[in-house]
Amino acid sequence: MSPAAARRAMPISSLGLPGTEAQPASRQKVLIRDVDFYYGGFKALKNVTLPLHDKRVTAFIGPSGCGKSTLLRVLNRIYELYPGQRATGEVLVDGQNILSPGLDLNLLRARIGMVFQKPTPFPMSIYDNIAFGIRLYERLPRHELDDRIESALRRAALWDEVKDKLPQSGLGLSGGQQQRLCIARAVAVRPEVLLLDEPASALDPISTQRIEELIAELKADYCIAIVTHNMQQAARSSDYTAFMYLGELIEFDETERIFTHPKQKHTEDYITGRFG
Amino acid sequence: MAAETAVIQRVAAGSGRAGTIGDALFRWLTFLFALLVLLILGGVIVALVDGALPAFRAFGFPFVFSEIWNPVTQKFGALAPIYGTLVTSAIAMLVGIPVAFGVAVFITEICPLWLKRPLATMIELLAAIPSIIYGIWGLFVFAPFVQQYIQPAIIDTFGQIPGIGALFAGPPLGIGVLTAGFILAVMVLPFISSIMRDVFETVPAMLKESAYGLGATRGEVVRSIVLPYTRIGVVGGIMLGLGRALGETMAVTFVIGNAHNISASILQPGTTISASLANEFTEAFGDLYRSSLIALGLILFIITFIVLAIAKLMLLRLQKQAGASA
Amino acid sequence: MNIYARRRAANAVVTTLSVAATAFGVLWLVLVLWTLLENGIAAITPALFSQMTPPPGSAGGLLNAIFGSIVMTLIGTVIGTPTGILAGTFLAEYSRGNHFGEVVRFINDILLSAPSIIVGLFVYELMVVPMGHFSAWAGAVALSIIVIPVVVRTTEDMLSLVPNTLREAAAALGTPKWKVIVMVSYRAAIQGMVTGVMLAVARIAGETAPLLFTALNNQFWSTNLNAPMANLPVVIFQFAMSPYADWQVLAWGGALLITITVLFLNIGARALASWSTFKQ
Repeated sequence: MSPAAARRAMPISSLGLPGTEAQPASRQKVLIRDVDFYYGGFKALKNVTLPLHDKRVTAFIGPSGCGKSTLLRVLNRIYELYPGQRATGEVLVDGQNILSPGLDLNLLRARIGMVFQKPTPFPMSIYDNIAFGIRLYERLPRHELDDRIESALRRAALWDEVKDKLPQSGLGLSGGQQQRLCIARAVAVRPEVLLLDEPASALDPISTQRIEELIAELKADYCIAIVTHNMQQAARSSDYTAFMYLGELIEFDETERIFTHPKQKHTEDYITGRFG
Repeated sequence: MAAETAVIQRVAAGSGRAGTIGDALFRWLTFLFALLVLLILGGVIVALVDGALPAFRAFGFPFVFSEIWNPVTQKFGALAPIYGTLVTSAIAMLVGIPVAFGVAVFITEICPLWLKRPLATMIELLAAIPSIIYGIWGLFVFAPFVQQYIQPAIIDTFGQIPGIGALFAGPPLGIGVLTAGFILAVMVLPFISSIMRDVFETVPAMLKESAYGLGATRGEVVRSIVLPYTRIGVVGGIMLGLGRALGETMAVTFVIGNAHNISASILQPGTTISASLANEFTEAFGDLYRSSLIALGLILFIITFIVLAIAKLMLLRLQKQAGASA
Repeated sequence: MNIYARRRAANAVVTTLSVAATAFGVLWLVLVLWTLLENGIAAITPALFSQMTPPPGSAGGLLNAIFGSIVMTLIGTVIGTPTGILAGTFLAEYSRGNHFGEVVRFINDILLSAPSIIVGLFVYELMVVPMGHFSAWAGAVALSIIVIPVVVRTTEDMLSLVPNTLREAAAALGTPKWKVIVMVSYRAAIQGMVTGVMLAVARIAGETAPLLFTALNNQFWSTNLNAPMANLPVVIFQFAMSPYADWQVLAWGGALLITITVLFLNIGARALASWSTFKQ
């Protein structure tokens, strides 16, 4: 039984840092410090401070509009595409503040990858979809490029399904396959951090399950932050959980502790389904 | 992992900067070409004003109100072409608007689903046919038909009524203001109809259904629900059609008769600004002749600019209204 | 009961009038196309495509006019399309909510519907007067000025349809903005943009007025772009208005050629547009 399947078989209450497998020692990869975010005049994030650990999955949960997606989008500064949106505070990645004004955003986004809620394959072949990101920054001979693409598709558990279809358009795949294509595309550029914004919410249950398995495997190499409105998913798949409400971080802790002994009443109310 | 990151950083350091240069260059490039659009308009205005200046200096503002058009004595006046432009466009609107409206109502409310697409395409093909085709058809087919059947009928009926009979006086020539106006109507009706159709489609289905649900007939729904909701857009579409009619050249040139005079009767030949330009510009001798023609062009440009600007503003307002209620 | 009967009668009137109006519209289309076919088919002979425009009273063809039209339409499209695409790209990608963009859009839409004879006058003053003579270049430039607003509009509309999530996905990989536009947005919008170009070409294929004062006409075969060049619309204008029967026949033939080209392009553009939406 794969580690992922084993973890799924355990009841929620006993989840957490599994004792049977040795996880690599974790350090802080990202430190979010005193971050505020504004959509124009509206303050959407208030004084958020929390760490993201390397080689671990940190889940963000909370009701709609609590700011979890907004926070994720601060981490790769994708909000900069839109005028009127700004962030203050610090986000330290390996000690370097990525919110500083002079920073090259394109380089940042090559180091911090993102997968979106809706699958967004580019209008080109499957091969070119994966190669797109690689070609931006590296000049690889053809066979090396082929290898990189194959390994990315394997990591996304998509290789077997598309290996004969590489020249076909990415748009021809099913929803779940498209999302795995997007994941492959994101990992192909070898980022250090992976941001997943409700990656399975637009997918059917079987695809959702496969994505969750994927995330469990990917965490061995990346620092993963995942936004989800599905609490069971957070409980199953993550090591740390952050509960947010109306733009504030209410509680942050190891997943097992948050779901069994939440410190804040608000957290407890949300987890037990009293609201949201 | 760290080594790979370093590789990416090293490589990307180059392409990162290149990326920013590329961004700046591309942005400037697109900006320049967008500016070019404005420059074209500016250029048109400058060219027309510059070319028209001699005529206005010679004749002054009365140029606009004078009916004289004498190349021999080099005395010109814009009144006849302006009048012809306005009258032919008015006829085009009088005939075209109701027909366009009927087409729009039919396609959006009455037409069975399978017929919608082909019918809409056919009406739009009316707009695709080049103006010169309408011109040649008008000259050889329509004008003789009008001369043989329509005009005698009009003269015998409306022409006999004292008062408005003057509108229909004169021998049946086939060509003339009425014929030109009619062909214009056929040419602009697809534009007006297409905008009306788009605008009718924005009416929320639920709104119409609530009216039908109360037992309203189709005509009543159109009159009481669809029209008030889309009023601004409909007027905008009409103004757009008017703008087209005012500037239409070739179809009118063939059948208007090219006579620089104003007569009360719409059965008589006349001229429009664009027809005068098309017919006379390349043969014009003398600076004042040419300048007067360009002055005509300037007047036409001003008129159409104003009409089109009003049309655009109305359609923009409708968009905002639709966006707000969406 | 009386009121109801009246309402039903009124509705019947409205329906009848709408049907009549539509039939009216379709009737004219059929009439025009039919007479065009009837009169023009006589002129469709091999001679049409192999001989030059003749002096009055002799037989001939339209070869020089066809050639001139193709050349000027091509050059006009080549000049106007990239210009329109770049300007449309600016409007769609770089002008979110800023006034300059709104002004350009407004002016563009006015140019779109402006009388084409004014464009001819403009290019006359711009090129013919300084150069001292009419030329095919001037004709091509006049046509390109008509192409530009059409392509600007369709490019902007098509690029606006590209979902923002696609742009974000590309940006999230670290793609510089210009590459996002060129390599992702353009690719996503390509079908709509091609349709726009086809419609623009269909529009200029039949335009007469802009060529009247720029390219003028040429009775003989010419490949000199710096001199007046024959073209179908102006030839039709000249021949149709003349009293010579064989000239008139040629005019109908030319008219038929133009109409077939224009209809072909229009229907082709529509087919392309609906095929691409069908594919998705």
